[in-house]
Amino acid sequence: MSEEKEVEEQSKPLVLEKLEANHADALLAQDESRGTVVVVVRKEQAYAVLEYLKTDPELAYTFLVDVTAVDNSQMESELMQFDYARFMVVYQLYSYHGQCRLRVKVPVHENDLSIPSVTPLWRGANWLERETYDMFGINFEGHPDLRRILMPDDFEGHPLRKDYPLRGRGERERFNFEKQNV
Amino acid sequence: MGLDFVGQGAGETDGNIITTTIDKVVNWGRKNSLWPMPFGTACCAIEMMATLASKFDLSRFGSEAIRFSPRQSDLLIVSGRISIKMMPVLKRIYDQMPDPKWVISMGACASCGGVFDTYTLIQGVDQFIPVDVYIPGCPPRPEDLIDAVIQVQEKITSGASPKGVEAVYE
Amino acid sequence: MQGGLERATGEKMVLNFGPQHPATHGTLRIVLELDGESVLKATPHAGYLHTGFEKLGEHLDYNQYIVVTDRMNYLSPLSNNFGYVLAVEQLLGIEVTKRCQYIRILMAELSRLADHLLWLGTAALDLGAFSVFLYSFREREKLYSIFEKTTGARLTTSYTRVGGVLRDLYDGCEADIQQFVSNFPKALKETHTLLTKNRIWMDRTKGVGPIAADAAVSYGLTGPCLRATGIAHDIRKAEPYSSYDEVTFDVPVGTNGDAYDRYLVRMEEMIQSCGIVTQVLDNIPDGPVNLEDNKITMPDKSDAYGHIEGLIHHFKVVMDGHGVQPPKGDHYCATESPNGELGFYIVSDGSGTAYRIRIRPPSFLHFQALPHMLEGGMVSDTVAVLGSLNVIAGELDR
Repeated sequence: MSEEKEVEEQSKPLVLEKLEANHADALLAQDESRGTVVVVVRKEQAYAVLEYLKTDPELAYTFLVDVTAVDNSQMESELMQFDYARFMVVYQLYSYHGQCRLRVKVPVHENDLSIPSVTPLWRGANWLERETYDMFGINFEGHPDLRRILMPDDFEGHPLRKDYPLRGRGERERFNFEKQNV
Repeated sequence: MGLDFVGQGAGETDGNIITTTIDKVVNWGRKNSLWPMPFGTACCAIEMMATLASKFDLSRFGSEAIRFSPRQSDLLIVSGRISIKMMPVLKRIYDQMPDPKWVISMGACASCGGVFDTYTLIQGVDQFIPVDVYIPGCPPRPEDLIDAVIQVQEKITSGASPKGVEAVYE
Repeated sequence: MQGGLERATGEKMVLNFGPQHPATHGTLRIVLELDGESVLKATPHAGYLHTGFEKLGEHLDYNQYIVVTDRMNYLSPLSNNFGYVLAVEQLLGIEVTKRCQYIRILMAELSRLADHLLWLGTAALDLGAFSVFLYSFREREKLYSIFEKTTGARLTTSYTRVGGVLRDLYDGCEADIQQFVSNFPKALKETHTLLTKNRIWMDRTKGVGPIAADAAVSYGLTGPCLRATGIAHDIRKAEPYSSYDEVTFDVPVGTNGDAYDRYLVRMEEMIQSCGIVTQVLDNIPDGPVNLEDNKITMPDKSDAYGHIEGLIHHFKVVMDGHGVQPPKGDHYCATESPNGELGFYIVSDGSGTAYRIRIRPPSFLHFQALPHMLEGGMVSDTVAVLGSLNVIAGELDR
């Protein structure tokens, strides 16, 4: 049992060790929360780090589980931590090889909402990024088809931002039957 | 029913002549051969499927001929949440159905938005299309849907116009 | 057929499939570009059932949100309830009692049966096998009555609570379930005789909508759709949660990743689930079902109605700022729902309401991979492939 635990403890920081060795300048913060390694990565190097995590044969995070974002505008402590970056784009990765999870977070400032798209790495990223664009307005650069996905095309605003009200801005009462593309 | 049997005495015609009006005969036919158009979107659609399947069997009430083409059906069952992206589709399907047509709003979401008071959900389809029978429940049980179909049948028998027709004359 | 007269015309035709079509199981929409009968391009559209679940999560407290998770994958609400409370509990750093863990496994596996049964019925119905639909609903109704007696509702169960479940199993529940699982394999065999070696079924599904293992990983497929490609990955095995490591079961895999393999994998999963249910029934321990933590679990209903202390306890738990309040931080928790990896990513700011809830739905990624499976095939295969993926609109659009 203790042996197993030792192996586990050694293998967990492997990601961090390798990242520190190869992408030390990209790392803003690192943490291990509830069994999952969490790294915060600078936006400029985000693509390179994710590519490294996927292609490195020892790590092999080949499965992009999820892409989403968090609007931190109403959580002061999180905001301060990364230089008032309003949004945090969150990637969940899984490695079939090592059977472990990894969370990569990338802070994005409100005045520059663009972030490189990871669609060249994972085909599944396409819709996940589209949804994040639809809900938060994050602009994924290099995305082949960045359109709204859940909301109608003529919808205004990004519903999951904190300044968007739960009951909407009256979209559900007034809409044009003629205009909408059925 | 409105169908009266004539002649109580002895004779060849006893009980074999029926007097009625053409409306009543037509309504009697309509009532027993409702062709539902199921507009199933969410959880309620699963209960609607259960209603049609082996245990509850809606065909006992003459409504088993499910038609997914609106032009061949006269009863629209709206079952499930309707989002602002879906509402124009629902409206178009309603418009495509031939008159007279009846609408059942099945479940809380279709009737009033249910637990989802959010930016994207229509808070009751009756804002945009006329509804004849509402079914409460989240989701309603199959028995509730059967009850609603029977209520539509009673409405047809009574000769009342569907809500959609009333709306035109108002 | 392929490359025949239709192809020679060289004209493209655009076919709009959905969002209201009997084979779209709700509100899916695909725009197909056809050359004769073959599909050149398929573009799936989502969002026709977008309900704002994630936004709603920022306004409801942790126990209230369980009601919303029911309505997400409405074929198997108990699995959603389970996955969600597990995420909250891991965020809180608590573990529920052994009996509760076993009850949750029991219910999750029964709902896996319910999900696969409905999938089987509708997928077969789409390809014209109506009797299978009636057979599978006959079995599903038996499950419904077990769910109803246990949770109080047929479909929208809301059975789990943070730190426990709504109530213990009713008297005689074990016998009812035992009876069901002992008869079930026999009932499933009827379907096997109807479909598995049926020429029409095989022609319509074998080699239809194939996807290779590496493409499936790249698209993020999970669950039966991934396992049909030959990857034996199951979260219940890889990261055992809630005592799944104490039951034994096999992970069935396919080889070709086509619609037929997805069918076989799901059929075998049902048998495995029956095995898990039997093991759970044999080993289920006695004891309390809820945690003895008055900050988290609600009092018994008879206490809340009958004693002032119980009433105050109840009031404290449901009052804003006094009930379940996970520490500040975030957590992602994945469970093996019948459709694949169902994940909840919860960000807590320390209050009684989540700061952000993200649901990682399996159907969303499955639906995205649809063009990969359709393009180059025939238009009639669209229905077969879509049916085999089991895309649930409520989970897809949330």
